[in-house]
Amino acid sequence: ACGKTETAKTKSPKQKYVLKFNHVLSDSEPFHKGFLNWGKRVKERTNGGLEIQVFHSAQLGVEEDIIEQIRQGANIGQNTDSARLGMYVPAIAVMNAPYFVDSIDEVAKLRELATVKAWQKELEDKHGIKILSFTWVQGLRHMVTNKPIKTPDDLKGLRIRTPGVPIWQESIRSIGASPVALPFGEVYIAMEQKAIDGADLVYRNVTGAKLFEVAKYMSETNHILLINFEVISKKFFDSLPPEYQQILVEECDKAGLEASREMEKEVEPLRKQLAEKGMTIVQDVDAAAFRKAGEGAYNVLKLTEVRDQLYKEMGKK
Amino acid sequence: MTEVFIAFFLFMLMGMPVAFAIGISGMMFFMQQPTLPSTIPAQLVLTQTQSFMLLAIPLFVFAGNLLNETGITHRLMRLSSMLAGHLRAGLAQVNMVLAATLGGITSSAIADATMLGRVLGPGMLEKGYSRGFCAGVIAFSSLITTMIPPGIGLVLYGSIGEVSIGRLFAAGLVPGLLMTVLYMVAIEITARKQGYEPERTERITLKELVTTSLDCIWAFLFPVLLIVGLRFGLFTPSEAGAFAVAYAVTIGVFVYREFTWEKFVRTLEDTVVDIGMVMLLISLSAIFSYGLTWEQLPQAFAELIVGISGDPWLVMLIIVAMLLVVGMFMDSTVLILLLTAILIPIARAVGIDLVHFGIVMVLTLTIGLLTPPVGVVMFIVCSIFNCSIVEMYRDSWWLLLATLIVVLGCIFFPQIVLFVPDMIFGKQ
Amino acid sequence: MRRFYQYVCAAEMHIAKWALAVLTVLVIAAAVMRSIGMPIVWAIDAATFLFAWCVFLGGDIAMRNDRLVCIDVLTCRLPKKYQHYLKIINYSIIVVFLASLIAHGVKLAYTTRLRTFQGIPDVSYTWVTIAVPLGCLLMLITAILKIRNLIQNGYENMPDGECGCPKELM
Ligand code: NA
Ligand code: NA
Repeated sequence: ACGKTETAKTKSPKQKYVLKFNHVLSDSEPFHKGFLNWGKRVKERTNGGLEIQVFHSAQLGVEEDIIEQIRQGANIGQNTDSARLGMYVPAIAVMNAPYFVDSIDEVAKLRELATVKAWQKELEDKHGIKILSFTWVQGLRHMVTNKPIKTPDDLKGLRIRTPGVPIWQESIRSIGASPVALPFGEVYIAMEQKAIDGADLVYRNVTGAKLFEVAKYMSETNHILLINFEVISKKFFDSLPPEYQQILVEECDKAGLEASREMEKEVEPLRKQLAEKGMTIVQDVDAAAFRKAGEGAYNVLKLTEVRDQLYKEMGKK
Repeated sequence: MTEVFIAFFLFMLMGMPVAFAIGISGMMFFMQQPTLPSTIPAQLVLTQTQSFMLLAIPLFVFAGNLLNETGITHRLMRLSSMLAGHLRAGLAQVNMVLAATLGGITSSAIADATMLGRVLGPGMLEKGYSRGFCAGVIAFSSLITTMIPPGIGLVLYGSIGEVSIGRLFAAGLVPGLLMTVLYMVAIEITARKQGYEPERTERITLKELVTTSLDCIWAFLFPVLLIVGLRFGLFTPSEAGAFAVAYAVTIGVFVYREFTWEKFVRTLEDTVVDIGMVMLLISLSAIFSYGLTWEQLPQAFAELIVGISGDPWLVMLIIVAMLLVVGMFMDSTVLILLLTAILIPIARAVGIDLVHFGIVMVLTLTIGLLTPPVGVVMFIVCSIFNCSIVEMYRDSWWLLLATLIVVLGCIFFPQIVLFVPDMIFGKQ
Repeated sequence: MRRFYQYVCAAEMHIAKWALAVLTVLVIAAAVMRSIGMPIVWAIDAATFLFAWCVFLGGDIAMRNDRLVCIDVLTCRLPKKYQHYLKIINYSIIVVFLASLIAHGVKLAYTTRLRTFQGIPDVSYTWVTIAVPLGCLLMLITAILKIRNLIQNGYENMPDGECGCPKELM
């Protein structure tokens, strides 16, 4: 697809490519380090021919806006989730539904499923979005609130912040709370000023955004294992030399797995750290009751069949 | 990006509305970037209006416009005259007290300068104060309102920089009151030198004072309720703006009974125009900022400044000096919009408290309203009193000195700023 | 034609001012209902929706009434003739800029149709997005009418107080 015939193995490549990669997390999160690692290795392997500039804290803009920019061919990438991709290929949102998968190993299987491959193709061909990798797993999401959450009933009437997409909203609604759409960056102030009663987050978000200053309880509801997707513009991807394309994808998968494992390892020390900061970690959560409540989200969004199909392909349950 | 900056200054010098100067020069960046889709500017312009935080701006503007219509001003005028009329250069002192109390309900230095100039200006000239002194008194007193909550400058800084507006409001209280007191001392010194006499000879009776104060209680209560509400999470900053609107309407209709449906609709129309003017500027400036971010200029700039020194005091002084220089040429709203996002990472990097930094930044930029060559408040007072800029500064340099003391005090004694917010919201 | 435009201007002011009034009420209602434990989840979203419309319509009203902030130190010192031509040049540049924002705004309104508004199912983001091209279209008309007036009136008839710009809020 590109007009260059000379080999890219020369010392300093003729054409340099720059990918601006945006994410909403703070620069202290392991994913940020992961993205920097990815960029470093890609730069090394392409002899500086492909540079990735990482923008933390949503400096380039809000996630939804960036995805629109990606669709129109900008040399931009974004760390996103299946919920937002679900706006374009609705079924893909199932990966963001409550209690869909339980471990990083299960996530690794997803990519090879026929159904998932078809979704990726649809995203590329119809919407111009190229998924580089989804080995980036942020970990299990819990409730960060000012009261302990042990059963779905405890969430009744609480305004819980979620990203502004239907699957998130339904997932949160199904386990009992009222969803409020708000950018992640506004959670601290909204919590401080009681505009919201809580948020559903992974451990790392709580320390990263200093939410222990505004919330007292972290209840381990485990309701979503958050799979992140690294997406870039299909048009930009196609403009890269084939070997660059391969390097970009390979290194992304690799850096993602590393970062995911690191986040998994971090949970225990973070638990301790939050407890020291005065937060109460609630672990005696009625898991069965939450799992049952979570079914509601699949029903409302008509994703039950999609889920069963994927489970069949991956041999789960 | 250099061309973009040149275009921006060129458009501004051509007298193009700043909103368009900023948007169009920002658009030029996109024309230089073939990889960037051309729909991004339209998207950026829209996204600015979709922020929960920025919703605070129109609501506070609306509230400010309403409060000006409710009949609070002339009640405060009577009270101020009772409190300060027996001092030397009594009318000038009355003006300071009025500016401080009025500051508790208004949020704009320019609006206050215009109002105070009209209300007290003729009287001061009649008393034989020099034109330059009158201009200086009105001009400097208008700075007080930006510090005493609410202040639109702090709302802008807090909304853009995601800094707690409640803390910022609380932090402005002491600097605002300190300014008032020092200005009164400065007036006393000037008055002794010039031989200006008191307004009245006898002090007022306690009874007079109590009845007049009670009549003004609603004005005093307002900033207090605002901070208390924010402290206890009764409302968010945006909701505080909406609450201020409800408060103004209630006082106007039920307490002072001067507020009518016609006045409400007229205020609504005035506010729409004000919002259009401020928010169009904010919206279009997003096109410009995107280019800055894309080229990673704020980081480069931050590294440059932090590279000079990692010492918070020195960094703060460098920034303040820079703000004073740019403040000479451009006015505060635009500068807060452009610079907040760039300066906050620097402040954070060297460990300056963001509330402390916000107060210093907004205060410094507001002083720009009084500095030549471009200073809106300076233009207003000099035209009201028909005096030159040189005359104004010659006759009111004690006031200038007081201002400098407040700014330096705020920089070097963060406790002046942080004491109240720490007390109300807890230490951070 | 003139009749129709006057009607459009009146409608513009009505929509903008009632959008402001309603968004204020919505924000208050959201705060009150939350504190009594019956949150209105969509209130803030609806308020930001109205905000977008208020901003772009209000922007046009401010422009028509010459209320946009500008810097006039240099221009005010120029002879009237040059002031006059500078104004025409400024508005012409603005016309080109607005035309481009309209074109891309329309395109954006089309491409965002799949995006939901703040997670409210079945409400497309397009309804917010069209505030941009529509507001810009109104401003474009305003700018063209300003150019026409400037050309028709000429600089000889420009009143003396015409050069100053309005001042900001702060
Ligand atoms: Na004020
Ligand atoms: Na100035």
